[in-house]
Amino acid sequence: MTFELVCFYVFAAVAAAAALAVISVRNPVVAALSLVLTFFSMACVWLLADAEFLAVALVLVYVGAVMVLFLFVVMMLDIELVPLRETASRFLPIGVAVAAVMLVEMLMLIGVRSLKVEPIADPAATAGLSNIEWLARSLFTDYLLPFEVAALILTVGLIAAVPLTLRHRVGVKKQNPSRQVQVRREDRLRIIKMAAETKQGESP
Amino acid sequence: MISEYFPVLLFLAVAAVIGIALLVLGNVLGPKKAVAEKLAPYECGFEAFEDARMRFDVRYYLVAILFILFDLEVAFLIPWAVVFEDVGLPALVAMGIFLLILTVGFIYEWKKGALEWE
Amino acid sequence: MTEFNTRDLVTILPELVFLGSIGAILIVDLFIKPSQRIVTHVLSILALAVTAGFVWSAAPAERVTAFGGMFVVDMIATTLKLAVLLTTALALVYGRHYMQERKLLVGEFYLLILFATLGMLLLVSAGNLVTAYLGLELLALSSYALVALNRDSAIAAEAAIKYFVLGALASGMLLYGMSMVYGATGTLDLARIVAATPDVQHPNLLAVGVVFIVVGVAFKLGAVPFHMWLPDVYHGAPTAVTTFIGSAPKLAAFGLAYRLLEDGLGGMSPHWSQMLAILAVLSLAVGNLFAIAQTNLKRMLAYSTISHVGFLLLGFVGATPAGYAAAMFYAVAYALTAVVAFGMIALLARAGFEADEIDDFKGLNQRSPWYAAVMATIMFSLAGVPPLFGFFAKLLVLKSAVDAGYLWLAIVAIVFAIVGLFYYLRVVKVMYFDDAIEGGTLVLPADRPLRWVLSVNGIALLGLGFASGPLFAWCNRAFGL
Repeated sequence: MTFELVCFYVFAAVAAAAALAVISVRNPVVAALSLVLTFFSMACVWLLADAEFLAVALVLVYVGAVMVLFLFVVMMLDIELVPLRETASRFLPIGVAVAAVMLVEMLMLIGVRSLKVEPIADPAATAGLSNIEWLARSLFTDYLLPFEVAALILTVGLIAAVPLTLRHRVGVKKQNPSRQVQVRREDRLRIIKMAAETKQGESP
Repeated sequence: MISEYFPVLLFLAVAAVIGIALLVLGNVLGPKKAVAEKLAPYECGFEAFEDARMRFDVRYYLVAILFILFDLEVAFLIPWAVVFEDVGLPALVAMGIFLLILTVGFIYEWKKGALEWE
Repeated sequence: MTEFNTRDLVTILPELVFLGSIGAILIVDLFIKPSQRIVTHVLSILALAVTAGFVWSAAPAERVTAFGGMFVVDMIATTLKLAVLLTTALALVYGRHYMQERKLLVGEFYLLILFATLGMLLLVSAGNLVTAYLGLELLALSSYALVALNRDSAIAAEAAIKYFVLGALASGMLLYGMSMVYGATGTLDLARIVAATPDVQHPNLLAVGVVFIVVGVAFKLGAVPFHMWLPDVYHGAPTAVTTFIGSAPKLAAFGLAYRLLEDGLGGMSPHWSQMLAILAVLSLAVGNLFAIAQTNLKRMLAYSTISHVGFLLLGFVGATPAGYAAAMFYAVAYALTAVVAFGMIALLARAGFEADEIDDFKGLNQRSPWYAAVMATIMFSLAGVPPLFGFFAKLLVLKSAVDAGYLWLAIVAIVFAIVGLFYYLRVVKVMYFDDAIEGGTLVLPADRPLRWVLSVNGIALLGLGFASGPLFAWCNRAFGL
């Protein structure tokens, strides 16, 4: 057993344990944080598989941004903790049974032997390039079209999020520095001429 | 190549050890003489009015999702920068279109007022 | 590594033009007042029409690929694209009045529909698993948001959540299957997957991949037992949105099924045709039987969709070009009928009145004989009564199933088609023989294009029935027959 393999087993075990924690712990915030640990361990596993860019992107995007979103969502919801547990434990036996049947079926079909498929040679290593360089090259040549479609999907995500969550409040008082700076004397001050209004016999 | 990440692994190990050690030490060595008043959340001398967990405003969600989208955009810029010199003009045009599409989205959210915090 | 060349841009020109128009519409919509939304409406339809023009005029006689096989343009893609663009334009015309009455006519309604359409155009031209997946996601993501557009409605929110969760599950299944196919064949390119199929090292791995891909496709089509989302989504979404997601995406789903199962996994057809035969029988049974119990017209049409998916799958079971041609004809016929069926509901709806219960159509004949006749035509076409469009579509897929040696399947389909006749005829009966709940003539929306186009669309179902010969010849030619 090489040192790499030891590292792999450690990170894989942590990932699996953390993933189990995600679906089993009581507190949703702890669940979200366990998911962070899962992502992080998976990033380490990917790193061991020489997928450097994906590993860094996973930490950057998922741990950095997606998990922040998850935490916000968890904190936005008012989940009653106890009833949730009850439904979960009610469906647990069925869920476990279905999962077990599927696992056995798939193992029987594919066969344990084909789990030891000889991996396809790492194209980056064959080309003598670093992982990120090879990935970037194919992204901007072979996968040019999917790359642009990804931009479209991001834009749709943006256009979908705004009408669903943006609510303009009425009656909000706020400062607009731009207008404050541009204000002139004429906008604020009006000098009018008027006759003195004093009634007879009354002192002003 | 992976060996270059060995310092990172060491760092992770040390961080994990320190983190766990501090928690364990605090739990083991710290005196625990809890009473109900001591454990109650501090609310300026009153009994606690409500749960400590408050619901977040949905506006945070919008900010977070906009952040993710542009974070992903930046993530795509990293490989682009690496191969920019090799691939040349096609890469420039490709990234130009990519950024253009997202800029249109940016104009959209700006004009809609999604960037305002009322 | 493929080098970029300008010929690729010519091949994808219609999509580029469409993307440019969407961008322009997005910007224009930001700077107009809500009362001027008609500008967005007209521009959107114009964009669809111009794109259709480009698709038509740039249609290559032969199969052309671009971006190293990522993007395929052939007559199948061209036909489906034209049908998608037409159906989407119809859905926009039918939906405007409905959305306006509910103050939901926002720019995003148009933008999301246009982006979804772009996704469909990419999907039907997919030559690679990645393009197929991304096109599908573009379509799906836009659809989820469209369903949730009415955010003050609880049932719309519920529908959107169900749609999103099950849609994400389906995408996951599809991706899982794709990864297994990649693992077995070592390529993502559909043409290369077909070439690699006969001598893969682990045929079982490929077969499991096929199972997951079939599940993913069945989810997107709405075939039983992966149909659970359909009634809730069709019912919960605003009718204008249902008009869209109930019609054009079925064409795209056909495209997806064809590209993945035939273009990519054609070598595995003995495996998947059995699965599709089971899905077809279940869809026909569940769709037709459950539709009988519905009192809500949108839900009834949703179950009717499920049964039509069953018919569509009949064209696939033989895995022959003739079968695909019949299935494509069916998809086009169904999309053009479904869009006007939901359009009728949108036509009758007013502010505060959804008109989506079957009882809301009671006595329609007394109140508006013309629209009762249009609705009756639609129902007869859906039921497959000769000589309407739907009849020929059913006839052709049945014939293809019999030719492929699935006589039992054709008999099952005919039995359930007769069962299905009951609930379509019930709507007709309600319109002609029941008394109206509200008296007086029908108050029709002032939206003249809506009334005219809807009438033409409804009557066209009759005309297209007579013109189905040339249309079917066209579909046959697309599959090289």
